[in-house]
Parts: sequence; structure tokens; C-alpha cells
Amino acid sequence: FTASLLLGTTLTISSNHWIMAWAGLEINTLAILPMISKSHHPRAIEAATKYFLTQATASALLLFSSMINAWQTGQWDITQLTNPTSCLILTSAIAMKLGLVPFHFWFPEVLQGTPLTTGLLLSTLMKFPPITLLYMTSPSLNPTVLTSMAILSTALGGWMGLNQTQIRKILAFSSISHLGWMTIIISYNPKLTLLNFYLYALMTTATFLTLHSTKASKLSTLMTTWTKTPTLNAALLLTLLSLAGLPPLTGFLPKWLIIQELTKQDMA
Amino acid sequence: MDLSLVLNTFTLLTLTTLSTPIIFPLLSDSLKNTPSTITNTVKASFLISLIPMTIHIHSGSESLITLWEWKFIMTFKIPISLKLDFYSLTFLPIALFVSWSILQFATWYMASDPHATKFFTYLLLFLIAMLTLIVANNLFVLFIGWEGVGVMSFLLISWWHGRAEANTAALQAILYNRVGDVGLILCLAWLAYTTNTWEIQQLNSPHQTPTLPLLGLILAATGKSAQFGLHPWLPAAMEGPTPVSALLHSSTMVVAGIFLLIRTHPLLSSNQTAMTTCLCLGALSTLFAATCALTQNDIKKIIAFSTSSQLGLMMVTIGLNLPQLAFLHISTHAFFKAMLFLCSGSIIHNLNGEQDIRKMGGLQKMLPTTTSCLTIGNLALMGTPFLAGFYSKDQIIECLNTSYLNSWALILTLLATSFTAVYTIRMTVLVQTGFTRIPPLTPMNENNPAITSPITRLALGSIMAGLLITSYITPTKTPPMTMPLSIKITALVITILGIIIALELSKLTQTLILTKQTPLYNFSTSLGYFNLLTHRLTTKTLLTGGQNIASHLVDLSWYKLLGPEGLANLQLTTTKTITTLHSGLIKAYLSSFALSLLIILMSAH
Repeated sequence: FTASLLLGTTLTISSNHWIMAWAGLEINTLAILPMISKSHHPRAIEAATKYFLTQATASALLLFSSMINAWQTGQWDITQLTNPTSCLILTSAIAMKLGLVPFHFWFPEVLQGTPLTTGLLLSTLMKFPPITLLYMTSPSLNPTVLTSMAILSTALGGWMGLNQTQIRKILAFSSISHLGWMTIIISYNPKLTLLNFYLYALMTTATFLTLHSTKASKLSTLMTTWTKTPTLNAALLLTLLSLAGLPPLTGFLPKWLIIQELTKQDMA
Repeated sequence: MDLSLVLNTFTLLTLTTLSTPIIFPLLSDSLKNTPSTITNTVKASFLISLIPMTIHIHSGSESLITLWEWKFIMTFKIPISLKLDFYSLTFLPIALFVSWSILQFATWYMASDPHATKFFTYLLLFLIAMLTLIVANNLFVLFIGWEGVGVMSFLLISWWHGRAEANTAALQAILYNRVGDVGLILCLAWLAYTTNTWEIQQLNSPHQTPTLPLLGLILAATGKSAQFGLHPWLPAAMEGPTPVSALLHSSTMVVAGIFLLIRTHPLLSSNQTAMTTCLCLGALSTLFAATCALTQNDIKKIIAFSTSSQLGLMMVTIGLNLPQLAFLHISTHAFFKAMLFLCSGSIIHNLNGEQDIRKMGGLQKMLPTTTSCLTIGNLALMGTPFLAGFYSKDQIIECLNTSYLNSWALILTLLATSFTAVYTIRMTVLVQTGFTRIPPLTPMNENNPAITSPITRLALGSIMAGLLITSYITPTKTPPMTMPLSIKITALVITILGIIIALELSKLTQTLILTKQTPLYNFSTSLGYFNLLTHRLTTKTLLTGGQNIASHLVDLSWYKLLGPEGLANLQLTTTKTITTLHSGLIKAYLSSFALSLLIILMSAH
């Protein structure tokens, strides 16, 4: 299953034709579904169902948008997506795939239903192809839509994360929030999006693996880890702070650069 | 012989002589002070200070002694300098004479006090501060003297600090003086800002000075000289021993405010608003104090209110643009007021601590010297022709009558003059004449020279001082010489009217009828309700306001509602609302997705 995942991702990243991209995305979806529902727990099955439905809708919308573009412009090149309607539909499709507001509702529950390592894959690896697609089509996307979605994501991710006790849901909302940061800068400086994504992936991986080794899935479990693995606990502290974006830690870098870029563009 | 050199030397010698009892005990253990050494020091100082005064009267020489320059900021120098002009050179011997008499009296009065030497040292410190104020040329040095007299007044009023009323009175004195100090500092700041100097001889302002610093000066005088509005501390200050009342609150400290106004007169004279304020404030103070004195039963309080009334009169004179006349009144008033206090002190001690005039009577036969001097003092206070008070008081009322200013102030002052006569005669009648009402076994002895010589000396001063001073100085403003006969004798007529009324009213004491409590009587007895109204109201308002600001505004509102807790509450509300939206139903989610998609598409077209 891991191999299929890698295959799908690579396919999407290196594609130049919309059909190839779509195929890669479908392979990804299908490959991860058994991984989600490995434990046969009802919650896992529910998560898998939700995931499938959402991703399927998103892929359909993606195909739809590429078809409209092909009909209008007569070509299937990813970087040449010029039809405004198809841009909009593409944006919403990718938003659905990623988990941007207002298409984010599936994400927390899905992440909650998966085992921790699969959850890791879900938040990092599965985000990679859609972000790549966004990156490739970024010049022609509608900035207003993107900005509004991004602002809503950041805000909502923060607010929702406050009221959670399950760690996986908190991480889901943190991921939504980070995606918001990534999306806001994509129309102005796509490289910063990528930087943000890489750093986010790094930090989330660290967090997930830490949590996996301590088998903590609730906040209450997390509270007793300091007796078992004190160093790991401290490291987790630093990582979480970095995720939050505190200055001397790495997480601050993308935020700072994004804000700088936005100020230059007269927006922040 | 260089006259100015002699002038300067002897003035400095005066001041140095005064400070020796302070310095010598610090130098060696065997040089301890006693009350008599301090008294003799002040006597020596007085004799020395007569020389500069004579030189000034003879040749009109004035001088300016600069001792040291405090280079605080480069552009603003504060030279510590002494101005020896008519005002300071004349007041120096007068103050020292009065102080000498009071100190000599105090050797008898405070003889039974275990800390008598400390008392005398305090009095000496007060005197030094007062003289600093008088001879100061720089308003900064004056301010040092100002604060000094305030602090010494606090220490001296609460001399018997076991008594709760004494402590309250001392606090009152300090607080009211402090409010006045704010005005003085305001004026100092304005002067430093605009004219870049605090020297008195540089105070001449070519054009009209703005009213605000002048109001500050008037506020300072109101606080220090107990004008209406900041006056309650003066009657309350009678809690101190009688020598304290005699020195501070009759002749020297309370005139500090008026003296300040005299010194800064060039600034005041150009501003009509300030002059009118002085006039009306003085008139109001004098009438108010005289009204309150009418029904007082404590002999010291009567004299205190009479001081307050005379201070109001001095303020009126300043308002009439006659600083020299105000100074004349200060000088003559010092004599007879100090004497009045000393006589009352002798009476009180002889009656074994009794201060209520309803329990005195017939003292003429028992304390002849004291009571005769009391009579002389009262006559001088009322402005009997050719005693000391006449020269200043009558002239003030003449000038008031012949001026074109406020007639309301005129009426108030005339009314106050008649009231002065009323309460003075009341006091005299109740204390001295008639049948005695004191307890039978009171040992009275006034044969101590420590009592009799100061009082008789001051009596001599009360009689002669007016004549002497007016003969030897040339007035700077021509006094009004021609006026109709009725105006000329107004003061006299009103005083006699007051005497007649008082004699009529005092017959009540012999008929044993209980005084009915009419509203007017209540007004006069409770000091015009001023104490009752203001002491609670202002402090309570200020303190509760402060508490509101500190606890309600800062703690509750800013920290809880708007600040950190408020933010946290805001987030909580949002979080809870949004959590309910995430219901977990996939159909709802998918439908919301569809709706969002539609909205996006719609909005873009």
C-alpha cells in the first residue's frame, strides 16, 4: 500500500496532463482507504467512508474543471489553465482535497478515526499532490477566493482547536490553519507556499511520531508522558511551540516571510 | 564709614546669632541649650537688628546680598540672595521683638513641661524659617522658608500629641497649607518658564501678566493666611500651646501669605482680575471670620478668628493696590495680637487651664496687669484713635471708602469692622468685668516678671508702634487726604455702634436667660457650616473616586472585561458556537460543500 501511495504521488507531481494528475490522485485515494480502515473499528470505517466520499467528489470536480478548460481552450496542459470558471472549480476541488474552509468538515473526523501513522500520511503526503497542482496553476487562480478561504481557514482552525480534547482533532485543526497560511501567499509568491509546506510537514511528522511512540491520543494521556519519557516530552513541547509559530523556533520563519510578502503587496 | 557695609554686616550678624543655639549643641556636649539661653539669644538678635533698621530709616539704603549661586541648569541660575529693603529691614526687628517677648513668656508658661528645651528649639527653628522667608530675594529661598514654617507649625501645633484634637488640628494645618503650596509652585513654574528668573527684583512685568500664575499666588496666600476657603486650620490650630498661637498664628506665620503678595506686588498690580479677587476674597474672609467670632466661647478661638478677620482686611488692602499699607497693618497687628494671645495665656494658666469665657469674669480685680494690657490690645484691635491699630486700620477703611472699587467689598468690610468691635467688647466684658464665675479655689499669681514684662513691653509697642512707623517712612502712594466728614469718621462711627450693640447684648449674661438656638446663632457657632460640609464631602468624594478608578476601572473593567479575560471569553464563545456546527453528518458536510461551490461560482460572475 505504501508503494501505491508513492506511485500515485509521483504520478501527480510529474504530470503535465490533467488526466495523469487525476489518475495519480485517484490512486492515492484508493491506496490510503484500506490503511485508514485497517483496525475495523466502526469509527475507522466511518472515517474511511467520509474520506472516500469527499475525495471522490473532489476528484470529480477536478476532472470537471479540466474538461471545461479543454473544451474552451482545446488543451489539457496543467499550467495553461485559463478559463475562469474552471479555475474556480479547480480551486474548490483542491480546497476539498486539502481541507480548506469551507470544505474542511471531513478532516477532523477522518483524522480522529485513523491510527496515528496513517494520520501522519494523511496530513503530509496526501497534501503534497494538491499543493503541487495549486503551485503549477497559481498564476491563473482567483486571488479573492483564495484569500477569503485562507483567512477563514486560519481563523476557524484556531478557534476550533481550542475546544478539543482529542489530540488528533487538534492536529487536524492545526493542519487546516497551516493550510490557510499556505494558501494566502500562493498568488503572490508560490515559493513561500512550498517553504511553508515543507516546514509544516517536518514539524507535523515530528509531532505525530512522538505521539505515536507514547501512544497518546487524548490530552489526558499526554499529561502523564513526562514520567515515562521526560526528554521526549520536552522535545514535544518545543515542536508544538514551533508549530504554533513562536519566534526563535523554525515555525516562525514561514509566517514571518508570508507576512512580509503580504505587506509588500499592500494586503496585510 | 560705609553705610551699606554696616547694613549688610549687621543683618548677617542678626541671622547668624539666631542660628547659634542650633549649631552650638552639635559642636560640643557641654554647650546645651536652656530656655533662657534661647530667649537671650533672640533678645541679642533683636538689639542687633535695630541697627540695620536705623540705617535704613536714616539713609534709605537698601541692599542685596548674594551668598551663593546654585547652578542647577546652565541657563537658569538660582542665586541664594537676601533682599534688605524697607519691608524686610522693618519687619526683622518687629518679628524679633515679638518673638523675644513670647519666648520670655514661654519660660513661665512651659516651665512645667519636661521637654521645654525642645519646645524652645522648635520655636527658634520656626523663627529662622520665618526670617528666611522675609529676607529672601529669590522665590526659591522664600519657598524654603515657606515650607519650613509649615513644617514647624505642624510640629508645634501637635506639641501635646497625646491629645487627638491636637493631631487632627496639625494635620488640618499641613493639608490646607499644602493646597496653597500648589498655587505657589504653579506661579514659580510659570515664572521660570516665561521670565527665566525667580528673583524678586526682576519681577516687573511690562505688560499685563496672565491671570493664572497670579491666581496661583492668591491660592498660596489663601492657604497660608487662612482666607475663606482654606481657613478651617486657623481656629483648629489653637490646640497648640499659647506661645505657639502667639508666635505663629498671630504675628508671623499667617502673615507669610500676605507678605508673599506684597513682595510680588509688581506682578499683581497690572492685572485687574487678580486685584478684584484679592479684594472680594479678603472682604468675604474678614466678614466670615468676624461672624464666627461672635458666638465663640473659647477665648483663644475668639482671638484666632479676630486674626483671621484682620488677615482678610490685609488681603483687602492688597486688593486696593496698597502694599505698603498692608505691610503697615502687618507690623502693627503683630504687636497687639501677640499681646492678646499672651494675656489669654496668662489668664488660662492662672485659671488652671480654663479657656471658656463663660467661666471667667471679674478678672480685673484679680489680674490687674494682664487685664489692663488686654484692654489696651482690644482697643488697638478695634482701631481706637492714636493707638497702633488706628494708623493702619483707619487708613485702610478711608482708602476703601474713597476708592472707585467694589462697593460690596466695602459693605462687607465695614460690617466686619463693627463685628470686630462687638466680639472684642463681648470678650472684654465677659472676661474682665462683672461678677466672677470662676471656681473659688484658684490660685492666681501674675507677679512673675516672666509674665508681666513681655506683656507690658508689647503693650508699649501697641501704643507706640503705629506712631513710630508712620512717622519714619515715606509712603509710596499718596494717601487720600480730602474726603467728606462722614467718610472720614466712618470707621469710628461703626466701631462705636458695635460697642453699643455689644454692651446691650452682653446684658443677657446678667439676666440668666438661655440663648435660643436661632438659625443665625447656629450659623455663627458652627463656623458657618463650612467645616461640616467640606471636611467630609471632599475627602469622601476624592477617596471613593480613587477607589473606583483603581479597583473598578483598572482591575475589573480593563483586566476582566476588555483585557486578557475579555479576549479569552470572546474566543470561548466563538469556539462553542463553531463546535456545534461540526455535527459529524456527512450529508450536511457534502451539502455545505455544494453550497459553498455555488456561492463561489456565483460571486465570481
